[in-house]
Amino acid sequence: MIHRAVAIAFLPYNTLVVAAGVAAVGCAAGVIGTFGVLRKRALVGDAAAHATLVGVASALLFTGQRDLGVLLIGGLLSAMIAIVLLVLIRKFTRTRDDAATAIVLSVSFGLGITLISGMVSRGIPGSGGLERFLLGHTASLTAHDALLLGSVSVIGVLCIVIGLKEATMVAFDPDFAAAAGWPAATIDLVLIALIAVMVVVGLPAAGAVLVTALVVIPPAVARQWTERLIPMLVIAGLVGLLSALAGVVLSSLAVQVPTGPVVVLVATAFLILSILVAPCRGILWRTRVVIGLSSVSLTKTEGGADTPRVMERKL
Amino acid sequence: MAGTNSAREVQTAHPMLEWHDLTVAYGRRPVLWNVDFEIQDPCLFGIIGPNGAGKSTLLKASLDLVRRAGGTVRFWGQQLAEVRSKIAYVPQRETVDWDFPVSVMDVVRMGATSRLGWFQRGGKRERELALASLDHVGLADFANRQIGKLSGGQQQRVFLARALAREAEIYLLDEPMAGVDAGSQEQIFNILTELRDQGKLVVAVHHDIRTAAEWFDAVALVDMRLIAAGPTAEVLTPENLTMTYSGRLSILDEIGEAVERGGRTS
Repeated sequence: MIHRAVAIAFLPYNTLVVAAGVAAVGCAAGVIGTFGVLRKRALVGDAAAHATLVGVASALLFTGQRDLGVLLIGGLLSAMIAIVLLVLIRKFTRTRDDAATAIVLSVSFGLGITLISGMVSRGIPGSGGLERFLLGHTASLTAHDALLLGSVSVIGVLCIVIGLKEATMVAFDPDFAAAAGWPAATIDLVLIALIAVMVVVGLPAAGAVLVTALVVIPPAVARQWTERLIPMLVIAGLVGLLSALAGVVLSSLAVQVPTGPVVVLVATAFLILSILVAPCRGILWRTRVVIGLSSVSLTKTEGGADTPRVMERKL
Repeated sequence: MAGTNSAREVQTAHPMLEWHDLTVAYGRRPVLWNVDFEIQDPCLFGIIGPNGAGKSTLLKASLDLVRRAGGTVRFWGQQLAEVRSKIAYVPQRETVDWDFPVSVMDVVRMGATSRLGWFQRGGKRERELALASLDHVGLADFANRQIGKLSGGQQQRVFLARALAREAEIYLLDEPMAGVDAGSQEQIFNILTELRDQGKLVVAVHHDIRTAAEWFDAVALVDMRLIAAGPTAEVLTPENLTMTYSGRLSILDEIGEAVERGGRTS
């Protein structure tokens, strides 16, 4: 155990930079994912994530370059196309929202996998490395790659910090914002685009299959601990950062393990812990309230409709 | 035609709010058809009609939240874009997620900061304005509470406070009494009446005829088309009501509701 810990402390420069870059990705995914979750767009992010593979593979096929930046731009393009398709299907067909999301998700994922398999079987140079976009594999990242991922993440967080008022207003009540003259639809679109960007830069860390977890679980953890937006953003950022970091370190110790599953498992550990012990919302806390205050709540219901609904949450 | 309670001599050339041949359709289904009326002066104005009559759509179309198939809406004779800062909208309470992680104060502050420019967060002035608005609706003690932990009536008053924080001249409210108990209804109507007395125009979508007759200075009866508009006593006649609610099963529900409510309050 001890020599492992020492090994972590003396990780080579490249590993350290990669760890920092991926940690930044985790943090930004948590922050931006918070708006995705609050706006109930988690599944849109998932569809976009599964659609990235087509773009990543096509970028390699058409440019012949293995540069991470080029591949990710391809992934971003196909993620955006998937989102546009989703909007079009919802608008022009009678398909229900959840069905439309599932269709786009599975079709684009199937297309991506077919493309990658075909490229691998034809021995197209670099196509073997495409697998790492499926489940995430940070061990193969260079310091250069990590800097790219880190910078995009920092820019993403800055967008939220600068536009916090606008994002909050639209996420909470788009009609009120629009009536007040704000371009609510455009702001909404920017938020979705930011989620797509985060899903794409999260690919090396968690892979197309699992990257949604990076965007969805940290906000879910954070919501357990706070009733305010800014603390929620901070906690989600921290949880995302720690999960991503744990994923990098643990998967670098055991090279065989892809990063994505480790990241997701660590984040899920945070979630289970939070669901159990978080104040107010945690199961243990609520059980305590129900047992301890049941007599009080009985007398309080006399107050009629203006009685606070603290106890009424689904138990 | 609808201006009542005109204690104010300030007669502008244009009515405060006017609709001309407003037509709205969702897909091929028309929701509003050639609605044409105006509100001359500040008053407490009710838009009344059965479920699905297009009442909410009338407000949304006025605020460019839904596309108009035809017709115009003018505020003081001007386009919406020129007068947005003088208008406040209160959407239906069910349209937002009350589990959203914001406090009562945060929501009301959104009203104040919605008037600022891009990326401006507001400061002391917006804070004080929000506090004053909260105080106005009697919720100052709840400023730090998460919005989901309020009753329906309190949530509705939070929405009202957010609109007040815009310091507007025209208030457009969509079903402000939905899911609100009798006590809170009176409280909200009192605030709206106060606004009217301060020279503001308050237009509220409402579906309860009994309370409508009690509180509104003027009303418009809408059932896809405009049935009638004008002073409440002149418009809420049995003939007009029959015309508005005719051929609809929902009139039975309305009557049932009214009877039930009447029984409870007496």
